[in-house]
Formats: sequence, C-alpha cells, structure tokens
Amino acid sequence: MNVLAILMIGGVLAVPAVGLWALHWASCNGEFRLIDRAALLPFDEEEPVGQPTDLILNRHSPTT
Amino acid sequence: MRYGPLLFLGILFTLASSWVGLVLMPNRQLGSLVANSSTNATGAIVLYPQARSGEAQQGAEHYRSLGCIYCHSQQIRPDGFGSDIARGWGKRRTVARDYVYDKPVMLGTSRTGPDLTNIGERQSDYAWHYAHLYDPQITSKGSLMPPYPFLFQKRKMGQGGPSPDALKLAGEFSVGEGWEVVPKPAARQLVEYLRSLKTSFDLPEAPLPKAAEVTDAQPPAK
Amino acid sequence: MSSPSKTFSALMPGDLPEDSSKRALLAEIDASCRVPVLFFVVSGLLWLLAGTALALVTSIKLHSPGFLASWEFLTFGRVRPAHLNTVIYGFASQTGIGVTLWLMCRLCRVPFVAPGLATVAALFWNIGLTVGVVGILMGDSTSIEWLEMPRYATPILFVSYALVAVWAVITFRLRQERQLYVSQWYLLAALLWFPWLYATAQIMLLIDPARGVVQAAVNWWFAHNVLGLWFTPIGLAAIYYFIPKVIGRPIHSYYLSVLGFWSLALFYNWNGLHHLTGGPMPAWMITVSIVASVMMLIPVTTVAINHHLTMWGHFEKLRHSPTLRFVVLGAVCYTATSLQGVANSFRGISEVVHFTHHTIAHAHLGLYGFFTMVMFGSLYYIVPRITQREWPSLGLISIHFWGCFLGLVLYVAPLSLGGILQGLAMNDASVPFMKVVEGTLPWLQIRTLAGLLLALGHVAFVANLVWLLARVFGPYRKPVVAILTGIETPAIAGK
Repeated sequence: MNVLAILMIGGVLAVPAVGLWALHWASCNGEFRLIDRAALLPFDEEEPVGQPTDLILNRHSPTT
Repeated sequence: MRYGPLLFLGILFTLASSWVGLVLMPNRQLGSLVANSSTNATGAIVLYPQARSGEAQQGAEHYRSLGCIYCHSQQIRPDGFGSDIARGWGKRRTVARDYVYDKPVMLGTSRTGPDLTNIGERQSDYAWHYAHLYDPQITSKGSLMPPYPFLFQKRKMGQGGPSPDALKLAGEFSVGEGWEVVPKPAARQLVEYLRSLKTSFDLPEAPLPKAAEVTDAQPPAK
Repeated sequence: MSSPSKTFSALMPGDLPEDSSKRALLAEIDASCRVPVLFFVVSGLLWLLAGTALALVTSIKLHSPGFLASWEFLTFGRVRPAHLNTVIYGFASQTGIGVTLWLMCRLCRVPFVAPGLATVAALFWNIGLTVGVVGILMGDSTSIEWLEMPRYATPILFVSYALVAVWAVITFRLRQERQLYVSQWYLLAALLWFPWLYATAQIMLLIDPARGVVQAAVNWWFAHNVLGLWFTPIGLAAIYYFIPKVIGRPIHSYYLSVLGFWSLALFYNWNGLHHLTGGPMPAWMITVSIVASVMMLIPVTTVAINHHLTMWGHFEKLRHSPTLRFVVLGAVCYTATSLQGVANSFRGISEVVHFTHHTIAHAHLGLYGFFTMVMFGSLYYIVPRITQREWPSLGLISIHFWGCFLGLVLYVAPLSLGGILQGLAMNDASVPFMKVVEGTLPWLQIRTLAGLLLALGHVAFVANLVWLLARVFGPYRKPVVAILTGIETPAIAGK
C-alpha cells in the first residue's frame, strides 16, 4: 500500500502543478492575447459574422 | 491554441491519469487476490470461494448468454446502506474476494428482479427453479420476469408416466394429457449455477455478523 | 452580407467565375464531403430505426413479459443489449463520425481528403456492427455493459476505426487554417481517447480478463468514458460550431471554452466508478470517482454559461432554424443530465436510485436528450449543404422535433420519478419485493408511450431524408439559396 500511497499523493500534487505550469507557459507564450480571435474561426468572407445561416422555418414571421 | 503537439500531450496526459488511477492501481491492489484459506473444525483446509463445478460453470455461461444481469444484481451493499441485508439477500456485504474466480464478473446494475448473490441459500429446490424459469408466473404471480420456454422441451409422455424431472404443471399452465415438459441440459446447468450462488462465509475482511447481532424486527421480505 | 446571386453561383461548382478562390471554398468542401459523410449518416440513421424498434420491443417486454417470449433470440436479456449496442455504436457513433468528418473539413478549411478511405471505414463499421448485434441475439453477448458485442466482431470495427483515425491525422496535417477552434480540440481529443478506452476494455475484459472485481473497475472506467470522452466531446464540438454559425455571432467567451475543455479532460475520466457505489470495491476508488463527479460542475457550468450567453438575445431564431432547435435542446439536456449525474453520485442519493429505473432515465437524458438531439440538429445543417438540396417537407421537420421533444420529456420525467419511488420502496425492507415491482408498472408503461412518440419522430426524419436523397438523383430546378441565407426568394416555402 505504501507504493500506492506515494503514487496517489504524488499524483495529486503533480497534476495541479503541471496544470499551473501549463497555464504559466501559455500566458508567457502569448496564448491569451487576442484569444477571442479564435472565436471567429467558424466565420469567413462567405458567411461572415452578423449573417445568420439556416433560417428555413416560418419564413414569413419576423426575425431579428 | 495553435500548437497541435501540445494539445496532443494534454489529451494523452489527462486520460493517462485515470488509466493509472482507476485501471492500473486497482489491478495492482486486487489483481493477485486469491481464495481465502482457512481451517475448519475438523482441521481440514477450506478454500473460499470454491471453484464452481463444471455444470455450474456451464450454467454461468447461460446466465451470461441470456443476459440475466440486466434485471438481477449480484452484490450485497453494506448493512445500513440500502436494505440488502435487511431483506435477507445476504448475511454480510460482498467484497472483492467473493468474485475472484468469476469470468466475467456479473455484478449487475439493475434490480428489476431481486439480487441473486445468495439465491443458492434462499432457494435451492430444483423443482422451484425449473418452474420459475419455465414460467415465472407459476411461482411468482405478477413477476416481470419473462418466461424461458425454450430452455425446456415439451414432449409426449413415455409409457410409464411422466419423467422424474418433468415439471408439475397444473391449471392454466398444464400442457395437456399425455404431454410433459422436461428441462433441457441448459436449464439444468443454469439451475446448478443459481444453486451455487452463496457468499455466507466468514472472511477476514468481511466477517459474518454474530448470530445475536442479527435481530429482525420484521421478517425479511424476499 | 452576400447577395443571393453571389451565393447561388457559389453553390453550383460548374458555374464558377474565373476568380473563384475563397468564395467557393465552403461549397467545394461541402460537395467533397458528400459520399463519405452521407454513407456514415445514412447508415447511422438506418441503425437508429433498428435501434428504435429494438427499444420498443424491450420496453414492452418490461411491463408485459410474455410479449414475444417464446423466441430465444428475442429474450429480454438479449434484445436489451442489442438495443444498446445498436444505438450506441450503430447510430450514435456513426452519425457522430459523419458530423466529425464534416466539421473537421470545414474548420481545417480543406476539402475531403481520401474519400475512399472513409467510405471503406463506414463499410467495415457496418459489417462489424451487424456481426456483433446478430451475435448478441444469437447468445454470444459478453454481458459486459457497453461492451456486449462478441470478440469476433470487434476486429472488424477496429479496422474501420483505424481508417477514420488515419484520415483525421492526414486532414489535420493538411489543414489550411493553422489556428484551432474549440470544436477541433474536442474532436481530436475524442478521436484519440476512444481507441485507448476500447483497447483497454477489450484486453483487460475479454482477451486476458483481469482478476475478479478489477473487471468491474475497468468496465465502468470504459463505459462512463465512452459517454464522457467520446460522445460528449463530439456533441460539444457540434454545439460550439452550430450555435454561432446559425445565429451569426461568435461564441460568447472563448476563454470559458478553454477552461471548459481542460477541466472536462481532467475530471471526466475519473468519474467511472461512481457506478459501483456500495459495491465490492475498495472505498478509495469510489470516493475518488464521487469527488471527480462533483468537480464536473466546473466544466458543466462553464459550458452552460457560455452557450446560454451566446444565445442571449437570439432566442427568437429558434422558431426558424431546426438546427438551432435541436442543438439548443441538446445543450440544455447536457446541463440537465450532468447536474442529475452529479446528484446521483452522492452516496445518499445513490443509495436510493442505484439499481432502479432512474438510472435508465438518466442515461437516456444524456445519450438521447443531449447527444442525439445535437446530432439531429447537426444533420439538419449538414445534409442540405453536402447534397445541395433543401429538406422537402417542413411539416416532417415539425413532427420530428415535437415527437422527439415530447417523447423525451414523457420518457425522462416520469421514469426518473418512478425510479426514485422504486428505490425508496426497495430500501424499506418491510415492503415485499413483489410490491416494489408492481409499483414500477405504470412508469414502465408510460415509457413505452414515450417510445412511440420518439419512434414517430425518427420515422418522420428518415422519411424526409429519403425524400431529399431521392431528389439528389433527379433534376432539381428550385434554387437552394434559402438554405444558407434564409432570404426570401419566390420559389421556396418547403416544397
């Protein structure tokens, strides 16, 4: 059981540590600058932001 | 996020964590569990759990093939957690060692029907089991268990009357003059398996409660 | 805002003007996806019909056990896993893969590479599944939940999966868009996680079975992770793409998406053993899984906030887009089933609902309410674009949606309640077991009624699809502009 305990406790400490390191790395590497630019990836010239696609039912009702 | 390799490593690492924790570690802890060995009153060595007889092992295969696990569980929860013990489904909770020889382990996750961990202790009568399998309504009216007529053979009675293991069917279940219903080998094996299901054995990690401690205010409902 | 004539010409590849470039890219990608994606989608939907039929038989057998009881291959213990494997691996996985392929092409901005590879994969998947399901009905079920298909079927599925994985890697390497969108993380994660789960389960449960209850640990690590690391990511990937796409606005907070993804990746895979609470396992394993289940509140609320705030101010679009209706319903069910799951993992609640029909209701809220609804919504968007045909009947779309929505509510709410009552009665040792059983009857009968509604919805959808596909082969004179822009043009309105 001792080996298990060491592995478990070690794991519980190591995992958040790696996570925090990754966060730090990402921040230093500029990953969080312009992050919202990635949110625009589904859109392009053909189907830009602001243009709804696929409004095929109840066409005669008003829509914003 | 732009880096494919980093994403790949993160994906790998997260699943690896639970693979180690919930697959590897249980295997390390329990993977080499063996039957418990103890000496009985006469000094003989008793192993528990015992390997099943060939017939019972065949019966386990039928239990698997017919999908009994989808209505029946085979695990007793601790006393006070649910009412498994209060219902008389077992004298103690089941532990890992109770299942060391099972392939597959058929714990079940559904109790449309009662738990079967100790059915061999509660009900060991062949005739009852055959009748119940042939048509559960015979022994348990209102049961939601389906009948298994295909485990039995309906045939003409011989000259000397019904066979010894023919089912005693009366009333709405009778199959007519001169006919009888006998269990096929599959039914025999399945019943042997069910009769082998017993876990009321003292284990170091799960002792049976002493007789005085088992006080039932009301009789256990089956 | 593109004008109708520009979009129209983009849809007809043969009519491309000289300076095509980006304007036609979406149409080119969609057209290239046609055969392989349709193969997965149509196969998946045929399996849905088979799975629905098996579901109805199973449901009826539960309250009327004499129904079709004399046939061995239809006994409850076999049709129930046949239903499960048909809908999980036949319908859900195949439509999931079809949607994954299309999303990967769209987001990587590269037309479908090696369509032959994917088509062969679909063929093998169907063969393997047929062999597996027939095997279950013939008596070779492994009785290991979510892994019932016999060993002789799985190598065929493995070949198919390997081809899909190879395709995904190639497409990813050839991508034109270097930045990755959140949907792609989820899809790549799902594609990487699934074979690991399946291989571990196959090896440690069937090929070289582990000792005793270690099998149970592996079984539920596997089964819960198929839900959490295969279906959930594909479903979330689709929601993250289609809600913004339909309403025309980006996701509310990309930062929340990052948080949601990594917290899901970290916590979800530890949940599995909450299926064994009270069982013959060391307590630490169960406790770890319960803790991880509670930690799931982080990704679940993150995703819920993100989706809800993205939709805020655009709810009236639900009237106009079947994709949006189904996908948003799916997103709501994702939150609901996850919260129900967190609650169920607490020991006090597990004590009541474990082993009851409540668990079944919960499973359907997740796989049907969340994943299947999201898949339906995705298909309403994808199929017209890859076939260049509109849905022939808007009436059938309504029947589909309302059949599924009402059926879902009628299934989950009563059966969840019925399961709780069943559990409470079962935990009272003075209640005879037969009385517990009798108490469940009305809830099981209601569930069959719900199943009929769901079946109606499915039949309506497949009928509409078959009608649409029939038009692919025939001449079609009506413009398909309305699909993309929802702009009124004279000759549309459903027919």
